[in-house]
Amino acid sequence: MVDYLELLVFDPLPEHLMLVFGSLLISLLLALPLAILCLKNKHLKTLIIGFANLIQAIPSFAVLALVVPLLGIGFTPALFAIILRMMLPIIKNTYIGLTTIDTKTLEYAKGLGLTDRQILFQIRFPNAYPAFFSGVKFAAVLANSLAILSAIIGAGGFGVNVFKYIHQYNIQSLIYSIIPVILIAVGLEITLILLEKKLTPVPLQKS
Amino acid sequence: MIETFQMVWNSQDLGTKTIEHLEMFFWALLFSILFGILIGILIYKKKQLADIVFQVLNIIELIPTLALLILLLPLLGLGSGPTIAACILYSLLPIARNTYTGLVTVNTQYLQAAQGIGLSSKEILLNIRIPYALPHIIGGIRIAIVFTMGVVTLGGVIAAGGLGQSIQTGLQFNRPDIIIVSSIWVGILAVLFDFFAGVVERTLTRRNHLG
Amino acid sequence: MTHQRLFDTIESVQTKNLTKIYDNKAVVEDLNLTVEGGELLILIGGSGSGKTTTLKMINRLITPDKGSVFINNTDTKNYDAVTLRRNIGYVIQQIGLFPHLSILENIGLIPKLEGIDKHTIKEEVIKLLNLVDLPAEFIERYPHQLSGGQQQRIGLARALAMDPRLLLMDEPFGALDPILRKQLQEEFLSIKAELNRTILFVTHDIDEAYKLGDRIGVMDQGKLIQIGTPEELLLNPANDTVANLVDATSKLRHIENFAVKEVMNPLPDHYILSEHTTAADAIQHLSTHNIEFCLIGTKKQLIGYCTLCTLLKTKDKNQPLNDLATPHHHLQSSDSLSSALHSMKKDNHFLSIIQKDDKPQGYLLADALLLKLI
Repeated sequence: MVDYLELLVFDPLPEHLMLVFGSLLISLLLALPLAILCLKNKHLKTLIIGFANLIQAIPSFAVLALVVPLLGIGFTPALFAIILRMMLPIIKNTYIGLTTIDTKTLEYAKGLGLTDRQILFQIRFPNAYPAFFSGVKFAAVLANSLAILSAIIGAGGFGVNVFKYIHQYNIQSLIYSIIPVILIAVGLEITLILLEKKLTPVPLQKS
Repeated sequence: MIETFQMVWNSQDLGTKTIEHLEMFFWALLFSILFGILIGILIYKKKQLADIVFQVLNIIELIPTLALLILLLPLLGLGSGPTIAACILYSLLPIARNTYTGLVTVNTQYLQAAQGIGLSSKEILLNIRIPYALPHIIGGIRIAIVFTMGVVTLGGVIAAGGLGQSIQTGLQFNRPDIIIVSSIWVGILAVLFDFFAGVVERTLTRRNHLG
Repeated sequence: MTHQRLFDTIESVQTKNLTKIYDNKAVVEDLNLTVEGGELLILIGGSGSGKTTTLKMINRLITPDKGSVFINNTDTKNYDAVTLRRNIGYVIQQIGLFPHLSILENIGLIPKLEGIDKHTIKEEVIKLLNLVDLPAEFIERYPHQLSGGQQQRIGLARALAMDPRLLLMDEPFGALDPILRKQLQEEFLSIKAELNRTILFVTHDIDEAYKLGDRIGVMDQGKLIQIGTPEELLLNPANDTVANLVDATSKLRHIENFAVKEVMNPLPDHYILSEHTTAADAIQHLSTHNIEFCLIGTKKQLIGYCTLCTLLKTKDKNQPLNDLATPHHHLQSSDSLSSALHSMKKDNHFLSIIQKDDKPQGYLLADALLLKLI
């Protein structure tokens, strides 16, 4: 039992978590400024979101595979692929959250004398919370899913065991090996939901 | 470059793989649409039932793709079986939810007017709700198309054939040319399908004159 | 699938003890209302008065908690709701044309569901467009291409598609700006006679009520306070609520809505003297009866009038009235007050004789009238 835990859970865990949270963090750092940039410039928005939309349609597996000729195999290329994958949901959702405000509210804010920057911080950001979190949750699920796959391009994580057992066609071990992954996915979602509840101002919370 | 493409195409028999790929894609999408829309129509009147159904479907979305494929192995073996099943399971939520939203969010003034001038519930469903819901449904189908393409591609690693298999071959034998050609080819197909679905979605939205 | 035609004519639409309760509060309470066949009855009241709820209980969009609705003495509960609604025309404030259907498809929706063939539908729709004063080319347009006023006309056409004998109209012009509203009211008035249907019309606009209604029913807090012709409400408001609503305190506003017969003074026979009467006798007569003028001639044929002042100024008191008569101004009893006053002003008369079918009914004194209108 202890061996099982060690083999299937503790060994792959650190690298898996690094892939997931590392990519989340970096994606957020990159995506949020890009979303705000889209806000300021219509052409940029069409370019960025259009480009990201395009990439999103491409199957994840293909994206993962394509970084190999470019960056080789291992942890870093996998991280890069996952980040690429997560950009669209975060950018798009954040952008929608920042812009889907009643035009009358915006007009009124301008009329009161708020600068664009103040409007951004005081009105758009709070309004964007639900959409933003929705994007983050979706991205986290993606990251978790891709992190397992990335074993096929030489990263660590739970995928290593999975592919080993696929190769051996050892169904029982296969099932055991993916249980932790599913649990992590559920745990991630729950954590994010709780985080969202805590951080969203009460009036904006969806019932 | 074209030579490389041709060479890989022939050596990996990408023609056959493409057909395998599209076959799985087609069947998976067909059943997703049938079941998804059916679910949407069955639950649009009952909010409580709808909430439960969507909770369940949400949980399915949480399961990582590879994990779901593996969970289906004991039931359906290797190959296209679990691949198609996984596609359907993932696609149910977007299609059912968009169908539901489309049917439910018809502006009440139209529903009241329809009821007032004497349309029965069934007539309202057929003549008002479904035409209104169509662009939303296509939106859900569009999402399902992207999901399905992704899962079918992944099916390559569990011996389902298709273009995912040639990508895997490229990775296993460290052949950048195979990787690039297969990945880009499947990418092009995916983008094309998504694009056409988008065109249909926009056309239907405009035709409904709903802006 | 066709639904049967329930009524060929409407004799009456009646509510008996109609009640609807929301949250323990009676939104409509014990309503007993009768709409006569062929009339346009206005239901007016403030918001929350229950008028729209009442209307919706007639086509069973809302189910009453107590009481019933009778059409031609049959309880509407006995009819299938959908069949009932197919037999009643329904027009709402938000218009509610379906954006994904063309005008032809919008108006022709119920006929199509009733199994009527495409060709007949197209003919009927073009006839209806004609009725509401829109060009036939509109059949291919879509609602979003039409203005608000045009859309509401289509709404009316749609309500008439199955030729219903009863029309329910719920603030149909409410969503339009005041200028457009007036225009549509005028047009509706002009086709009202052509329509020849029984209409129950809900509004909160008293001027609209006066313009369009044969009778007006005032509702307040779910109860029917008073029902009657516009003049009855203006002259005899049942309570302060009605008086405020119909603006009875400023009757002056309504001179267009009054007919002279409502405000004229009666003309007893002693006002009329034969043309042979002498001035002296006339003066005597006038002072005995305490009147200030007299009419000269016979009831069947009036020659003119003469005032006491003129008589007193006559030198020869033996002159017959014949010589002193001034031709009188006359009006029909159904003339509106405003046109009457305009006419009198134009011809410079302070007095006018009101006639109905050539028989004198009463008289009108322009200055005394002011007192009557306050």
